[in-house]
Amino acid sequence: MPDTTAARRRADRRLPRMSQVFRMPAAAGRVTAVAPAQPSHPAEAPEARGRIVAGYLAPHPPHLIYAENPPQNEPRSTGGWEILRWAYEEARTRLRQRHRPDVIIVHAPHWITMVGHHVNCVPNPRGRSVEPIFPHLLRYSYDFRTDVELAEAIVDEADAAGLVASRMTDPGVRVDYATIGALHLLNPDWDIPVVSLSANNNPYYYSEAGLDDMEVLGEATRRAIERTGRRAVLAASNSLSHLHWDTEPELPEDMAREHPYNHHQYQWDMRLLELIRAGRTRDLRTFIPEHIEQTAAEIKAGSLSWMLAAMGWPEIPGDVLGYWTVIGTGNAVIEWDPGRHG
Amino acid sequence: MADATIVGAALVPGMPHVLADAPAPSWKALGGAMREVGHRLRATGPDAVVLLSTQWFTVLGHQFQHHPNPSGTYVDENWYGYDYGHLDYDHRVDLELVERWAAETERDGMQARLTRYDDFPIDTGTIVAGHLLDPDGGLPVAQVSCNLYAPADALERIGALATTAATAVGRRVAVVVVTGLSAGLIQRWISPGEDHILEPGHDRWNRRILDLLAAGNLAGALEQREAYALAASVDSQGRALAFLAGTGAATGRADVLEYGPIWGTGAAVVHWRPQ
Repeated sequence: MPDTTAARRRADRRLPRMSQVFRMPAAAGRVTAVAPAQPSHPAEAPEARGRIVAGYLAPHPPHLIYAENPPQNEPRSTGGWEILRWAYEEARTRLRQRHRPDVIIVHAPHWITMVGHHVNCVPNPRGRSVEPIFPHLLRYSYDFRTDVELAEAIVDEADAAGLVASRMTDPGVRVDYATIGALHLLNPDWDIPVVSLSANNNPYYYSEAGLDDMEVLGEATRRAIERTGRRAVLAASNSLSHLHWDTEPELPEDMAREHPYNHHQYQWDMRLLELIRAGRTRDLRTFIPEHIEQTAAEIKAGSLSWMLAAMGWPEIPGDVLGYWTVIGTGNAVIEWDPGRHG
Repeated sequence: MADATIVGAALVPGMPHVLADAPAPSWKALGGAMREVGHRLRATGPDAVVLLSTQWFTVLGHQFQHHPNPSGTYVDENWYGYDYGHLDYDHRVDLELVERWAAETERDGMQARLTRYDDFPIDTGTIVAGHLLDPDGGLPVAQVSCNLYAPADALERIGALATTAATAVGRRVAVVVVTGLSAGLIQRWISPGEDHILEPGHDRWNRRILDLLAAGNLAGALEQREAYALAASVDSQGRALAFLAGTGAATGRADVLEYGPIWGTGAAVVHWRPQ
């Protein structure tokens, strides 16, 4: 059974924050935030400015790709988790028909970087990603294009805002399953350029992401989009409540075994979704840390906060396209569409 | 029975900085200590190494590396910009020992998975330990993942079952755990000479635990595991210590060969001789 002892949970909650990654004076051993700098490129003419046309909470459990049986993935399944997969189906339709983005930007918690925020600037990442945690579910051949100009612009803006930010230009770095998962499920044809951002935290060591950092990174992302003139869709590759089983059934897609980890986790996920559906986005700023505390939510990796910050915490309803569990964790596919509500 | 099977044990760091071309003093000292421990372990004539690396962390069941010869080059997703971020590896796996270990794990009521996939990404810690403890790659390895959703005492049982399995298949084994101590990282790019343990409190805790190990009091260290994890952000909440205790390999006084920082985290090289 999972380790849910009170001691473990107390320990998890009280561990120090990891993701404070503002640049520091050389002598300092710990984080000191510097005032965010002005954008490196002041606003251009409005007609030249890009914008965020939609944001998606786009959970990445490899089970969902596994269940789809796409040609890129080696393992075969008999399906499963249809509610979430149908939600993604609707998201794909909207992405193609309504949003027509130039680029999808994803923030993913399983590209774990220990020092700073990294942005994949490799023009054409390709390879085979055998997932070390779920190798029986995900052995995926990827081949996609990066919007390098935008990727570098995000690094520049983040750097100018005082974050430790790095260009990742090494094609040998394996692309992680949270990046692949969200991007495949939003666009299995991979025919839209991508920018992928790392998560500067390790959700398995630390209980609380540096959500303040994600505000700054989100704003830097928005400025980079604006100055490069892109129509961008953002993808926050996060699950919600994140306690889960530590074993799995013989048939991974045995849906008779799939349900919320417990009622507490489910209730907190529903409270979050109610705020989102009501468009009470500003209230999420205070509720998200509480949700993390209560449910060990994966949004502690900061992807959701990054996305909402980039979008300016819009007071518009999020459209919950679907919610269900994967090995007990809560997962929702949600769209924020400023064009529809703004 | 276990005493006859185990020929020594070690706790070593898995950060790749110990392989740096231009290391910080502490990285160099830690790497040198790992080479020394490797020499000591090999001198006792083990047939195989029983290995746990916290950097191969999993969440479902207990995975056992079952590829006969994982080999390739691993590019670390954080340290790719440095010479030590590109790591070649070529390991041999003791399949008979692994299969018995996994079977014992299932028999004990836990879920075991044999993991055998081409292109499976071997973790940095495993590669680093292989380079320094067994540079010629002569020793086959039996490795289990570190399930972070399983309680620490499950890892302790997994450790005990390693000894059971080694005895059953007639192996003399060295036990190696690859783990950091305090895990607080310096959150900026530093030059090697700037390295230091991130927080004095982490340093005090690390030394307290190492003193207990040096005194032969692993049980005492385990009693403080949760408090240590809480106070010093310990790598995998100290699960490697629980695993080590389970094997029965870390009895008696430990020789703490080296202790120092790696990018703010605590790292130590510790050796236990067979009792």
